[in-house]
Amino acid sequence: MSEDPSQEVPAPKERRVGVFLCQCGGNISDYVDTEKARATLEKDPGVAHIEVQMFACSDAGQQCIVRAIQEKKLDGLVVASCSPKLHTMTFRGAARRGGLNPYEYTQANVREQDSWAHTHDRQGTTDKAVAITRAAIARTVRSRPLEPIRTDTAPSALVVGAGVSGLRSALALSDLGISVHLVERAEKPGGQLTRWARLFPNDKSGRAIVDSLLSELGRRDNIVLYTRAEVVEKEGHIGDFTVKVRTSNGEKVTLKVGAIVVATGFEPYTPPKGEFGYGEDGVLTLPEFEELLGDGSRPIEFHGRPVRTITYVYCVGSRNPEGHTYCSRYCCSATSYAAIRAAGRDPHVRQYHLFRDIRTYGKYESLYERALKSGSLFLRYKDDSPPTVTREGGGLLVKVADQLTGGEGVEIPTDLVVLVTGMVPRENTVLTDVLKLPVGKEGFYNEIHQKLRPVETVVDGVFLAGTAQGPKNTAESVASALAAVSKTAGILLKGYVDLDPLVAKIDTSACTWCGLCAQACPYGAIEEVAEGDKRVAKVVPVLCKGEGACVPVCPLQAIEVEGYTHDQMRSMIEALASEEE
Amino acid sequence: MTEGGRGSDFDVLVIGGGIGGMESSLSLGDMGFHVLLVEKEPSVGGKMILLSKVFPTLDCASCISTPKMAGTQNHPNVRTLVYSEVERISRRPEGGFEVVVRRKPTYVDFAKCTGCSLCETACTVALPDEFNADLAARKAAHIAFPQAVPKKAVITRKGLSPCSHECPAGVKPHGYISLVRAGKYDEAFRQHLEDAPLVGVLSRACYAPCEEACTRAEVDGTVTIRGIKRFMADRYYAAHPEPEYGPPKERTGKQVAIVGSGPSGLTAAFYLGREGHSVTIFEAAPEPGGIMRWGIPAYRLPREVLARDVMNVTALGVEIRTSTAVRSLQELHGYDAVLLAVGSTGGRKLGAPGEEAPGVVDAVEFLGGVRAGRPMDLRGKKVVVIGGGNVAMDSSRSALRLGAAKVDLYCLESRLEMPAHRWEVQEAEEEGISIHPSWGVGKVETGAEGRATGLEMVRCSSVFDAQKRFNPTFDRTVSERVGAEVILLAIGLRPQTSPFAKELELNRGGSVKADPETLQTSDPRTFSAGDAVMGPANIVRSIGQGKRAAFYIDRFLRGTPLQGIQFDVRMPVADKAAVVAQASSRPPREVERAPVAERIRAFAPFERAMTEEEARYGATRCLDCGGCSECRECIAACPADAIDLHMATQMETYKVGAIALATGFDVFDAQKKPLLGFGKFPNVITGVQMDRILAPTRPYNAVLRPSDGKSPSNIGFVLCTGSRDEQVGNRACSRVCCMYSVKQATLLMGALPTADITIYYTDIRAFGKGYEEFFQQAQEMGVRFVRGKVARVEEVDHQDLEVHYEDFEGNGGVTKARHDLVVLAVGLLPHQLPDRLFQGERLERDSLNYVREMDEELDPGRTNIDGVFAVGAASAVRDIPDTVLHSGAASAQIAAYLKRRAEA
Repeated sequence: MSEDPSQEVPAPKERRVGVFLCQCGGNISDYVDTEKARATLEKDPGVAHIEVQMFACSDAGQQCIVRAIQEKKLDGLVVASCSPKLHTMTFRGAARRGGLNPYEYTQANVREQDSWAHTHDRQGTTDKAVAITRAAIARTVRSRPLEPIRTDTAPSALVVGAGVSGLRSALALSDLGISVHLVERAEKPGGQLTRWARLFPNDKSGRAIVDSLLSELGRRDNIVLYTRAEVVEKEGHIGDFTVKVRTSNGEKVTLKVGAIVVATGFEPYTPPKGEFGYGEDGVLTLPEFEELLGDGSRPIEFHGRPVRTITYVYCVGSRNPEGHTYCSRYCCSATSYAAIRAAGRDPHVRQYHLFRDIRTYGKYESLYERALKSGSLFLRYKDDSPPTVTREGGGLLVKVADQLTGGEGVEIPTDLVVLVTGMVPRENTVLTDVLKLPVGKEGFYNEIHQKLRPVETVVDGVFLAGTAQGPKNTAESVASALAAVSKTAGILLKGYVDLDPLVAKIDTSACTWCGLCAQACPYGAIEEVAEGDKRVAKVVPVLCKGEGACVPVCPLQAIEVEGYTHDQMRSMIEALASEEE
Repeated sequence: MTEGGRGSDFDVLVIGGGIGGMESSLSLGDMGFHVLLVEKEPSVGGKMILLSKVFPTLDCASCISTPKMAGTQNHPNVRTLVYSEVERISRRPEGGFEVVVRRKPTYVDFAKCTGCSLCETACTVALPDEFNADLAARKAAHIAFPQAVPKKAVITRKGLSPCSHECPAGVKPHGYISLVRAGKYDEAFRQHLEDAPLVGVLSRACYAPCEEACTRAEVDGTVTIRGIKRFMADRYYAAHPEPEYGPPKERTGKQVAIVGSGPSGLTAAFYLGREGHSVTIFEAAPEPGGIMRWGIPAYRLPREVLARDVMNVTALGVEIRTSTAVRSLQELHGYDAVLLAVGSTGGRKLGAPGEEAPGVVDAVEFLGGVRAGRPMDLRGKKVVVIGGGNVAMDSSRSALRLGAAKVDLYCLESRLEMPAHRWEVQEAEEEGISIHPSWGVGKVETGAEGRATGLEMVRCSSVFDAQKRFNPTFDRTVSERVGAEVILLAIGLRPQTSPFAKELELNRGGSVKADPETLQTSDPRTFSAGDAVMGPANIVRSIGQGKRAAFYIDRFLRGTPLQGIQFDVRMPVADKAAVVAQASSRPPREVERAPVAERIRAFAPFERAMTEEEARYGATRCLDCGGCSECRECIAACPADAIDLHMATQMETYKVGAIALATGFDVFDAQKKPLLGFGKFPNVITGVQMDRILAPTRPYNAVLRPSDGKSPSNIGFVLCTGSRDEQVGNRACSRVCCMYSVKQATLLMGALPTADITIYYTDIRAFGKGYEEFFQQAQEMGVRFVRGKVARVEEVDHQDLEVHYEDFEGNGGVTKARHDLVVLAVGLLPHQLPDRLFQGERLERDSLNYVREMDEELDPGRTNIDGVFAVGAASAVRDIPDTVLHSGAASAQIAAYLKRRAEA
């Protein structure tokens, strides 16, 4: 990270920056006059090349950028397009292919911060696009080439949670030669699946699935399972984490791992007493009913009494504006499947399904069909008039306004009420804190992007598997678990990882070591060292995230973040604040 | 690292470059495996790149696809083959697979193409744009879509258009027709000149086999190809009294003698002259042209048209020595090569008594006299023509024009067997010639001075024997007498090869024995073409022979072997039935002709030339059967010299360790629900089309309805079109239609704030992360959700639509509602993989015909074939997030498989 005197950076005005204004196929150019912006910016000092592109991120767009870098001998690059979250890596890659140092690239966000925000004012958005792009140019002409910080990765991973997702991830990582520490909070591994005698759509036993995974686990010598254990501390960075696990005997074990897979699963929703009669004898949640149903073949009995009528109330605890707003996706199919099995045990059992929408998506539609064919009756209730469950005399009575018959009131005396309950996030405060995991508004862990990076989190090297990210059935959980394995392997099999060099640096000639910066740093990335005869602060680059908390607390302005130096920040603010002619 | 090991070229073959295939390739590449990605379309990106935005985040599909696309293309461990299909997969005994990949010809050298689009601009053929769900047109030479990766042009060629395929001379009617359609008349002429020099002659006197082959003929009448050619030739010749070129600068120093200046001689001279050989044509007659000058009547081919065509040849420095008969090859000993193109002549005899009598005249001589300005005096005479071919037609019609009182034509053949063209017979009859089929000459009757006075005709019972050989039989009990002052014999032609009988091997009929491919004769330096080889043929076939002869003579002169190459290899003909199925009616416009009374008075052409407007209208009737018309405009336009129309399919073989099937899904064809009106009513569109209308690269740049471009104000969505529907054989739910319709409705609320939007649904399946909230938001924005099953859609006034649906709520019963645009939310179906893709192994399918995953819960992607994995929508209908997850999972599975194999 030391300055290389041979890399003399030209003065800002001497720089040769290429500016690419992306139209984003109309997303920007419908609201920003990109041609006018081009004409305005064309003569700005330091701008050696400027052009408008329909899709800068397309391969053709990137080729234009590569060509311009080479032909015009550019020493800086600005793309005015979308959020840097989306395409920083894309254009850094294009810069590198053109022979330009990727850190001499700046992305100007004229879409999320401009065209999408002010769709009513073309002049205004155009002016703002010019200002934002100028700020990016101002930063770029003050940039210097940087090299990534390369560190070796540990060929091992931590998997948190030993349900089906965690177990399957562990085996898959082990398959690829990555050793695994598998940490489970409960007494026994297996998770929710152990409660389910049969799973849709392939009639498999949940218990048997878990057993098969556990027996395979036993054959692997590169997987260590810790039960009644919890992750309590984490340090380090992608490729090289140090994790402390408190084991069943209270000891803390220190583990070195390259990546972390979070497979902490879900909690079945438990209704409060009184919600649709929950708490009354004969009112069960879906998992409770599942346990009653088990693997038997004789007609169902409850407390020794034969069950002749079952009423299912769907969406309990789901799709509720006041509670859990989301749909838990597995419950419609699981309930249809339970009804098929109930009818199989007793063809005369009467089954009523009180639903809002039947969401047996994809091939699970056949379960709904089979439930209908086996005699189940489906009654649709409206969101604003849910059914009621009461105890009348000795039995349970369900009342519902059936939409199919024009809202007619139907009363169903019933032996069992099954509340079709969904999935809710698990209570995991300690882990969330230790790993600094992002939590979405439903309480599940959040991926970076559902489609682009569905198992990655904003914490580099920490991946999500299974229902910790949101409701899923078994097959979907395993698919996401293995997707997390793919990403983990992508990092660990390479043996090293490149970290962003946009980290803090200390001007040791000015520093007098007051320690304020070290206190401000949330990552413990600053330490006190001796330099000559004085004490100064030193940044540990692999730990620094470039967040900049240290910068404003320094009374001597002796700290800067690479890529965001005082000079760069000041000039960006000036560019943004200056009035256009 | 190549874990596939043991000599594999790649660790993994990924079939399909959609989101699933790209995700798999990238994650396997990141893990260090070497991936071969094969995509059938010209770009990676699959169906996702064509979407507008994606639910529930409303990210622009382009924005989140392009990084994956560019990433795939630029990944150091991924090699991408676009426009390619996996043809065969077989297991190698040492493990892994051998795969045969068919690289479809792009007709553009990707190494040279810069994606500049100039070919696209120049291309004269518009085809439905499949990447815009057929809502708009695109060119035959095109870049698939603006964000295509790689951004390279490809040219769509579905085979040779039937017209071009049919032409014996290798002329490409589709090419010049498309140029005329584009208003590029001079280019059209030049394109023709490349393929045959006698443009004017063909535009007047060709029998136009192209028109018989024309697909439009099966719809509402052939494209009037010859008429359009006449327009373009006349126009060009009017503007260019002389050719635009001179003799080529580079000379080979070789001398070629051509005997005969008929169609094959002139054509051969043209191509040999262009190659820089010195060509001399020897012509016995006082003017060049052979049959074109002396045989074809002027009302069909005026002299000046021929003369101008001949200039196309002589401008190259070809010398024509007229009135110079060659009687022996010895006379041509100084030449490096000789082409014998002497044609044929009449003079065949009937073999009937009295045929030597004065008044019996050979028809070819008769026609020659007319064209030489020494016509027979037939005024007021009764003329009988014997023969059923074109010479007979020309003779009888010429006789009429010379003032004959009556012309009767007798021929052996029945009407259906007559060799003359149908339209020619029809024109002759229009002009008043009486045609008497199935008669043979018994004898010629003679009068006082021995002159012919008439004929005794006998009934001809059959012309050909069982072997289809000419072998007429007669029923002499049926006879007829006919009086005649002049009898014209048009009973066949024979090659004029007798002077060379001692020097060359001849066939029994007198034709020269020549290699049918090279046209080389028994004397190596002598080639022969046209009627001299074929026996009586026609102009366009002779031109084809002239070209062939020139091709091989040139090789002969350059000392290149004649064997081992084929002249005139044509692509297979395009599928006519497929074109007919897509064609709509566009009837021909008749070009007026002079009235019969007027036309038989003179030898002037009676068919009026087309006006520019008529020619262009005629050209717009072309159905572009083969896609590319070979107009060659792209070749002229391409600055990188990247176009190569000779490119052929290549088969490449690769060894791979494992296979990922990321073949995606097919979309339900809405026409299979005829009651919903798609394909019948213009304002019933599919969800795929609506997504294109809303996409940033949309075809209209606004939300419009197709019938009139009106901005729709009341849009209805019909969910479950082709899903959850036993009737169409798809019981499954397609998972994405609810959500893409909610997304489209949301986007439409933004684009058309005042529009009413109704979604007819059974259940709204908003099950994924963020989906339910997205659905709630659409309801809050004012999208109406009506629970009802749509039974049918009908068109009412203003091309609006009436949706008839069973109302599941409200009042119940069947209700109807009016909309000005109806969107059918079409479902997804399993993609049909080619049969027998796997040699000796059968890939198992599930009950819905998706690739079966052997252990869906624990081993995603694993199929029944060891080493073959299904990715994304290949094994079940999936939305994008689930496809991405499943692809990642399949990658982990493949990686584990390869590790196991490497360790085993």
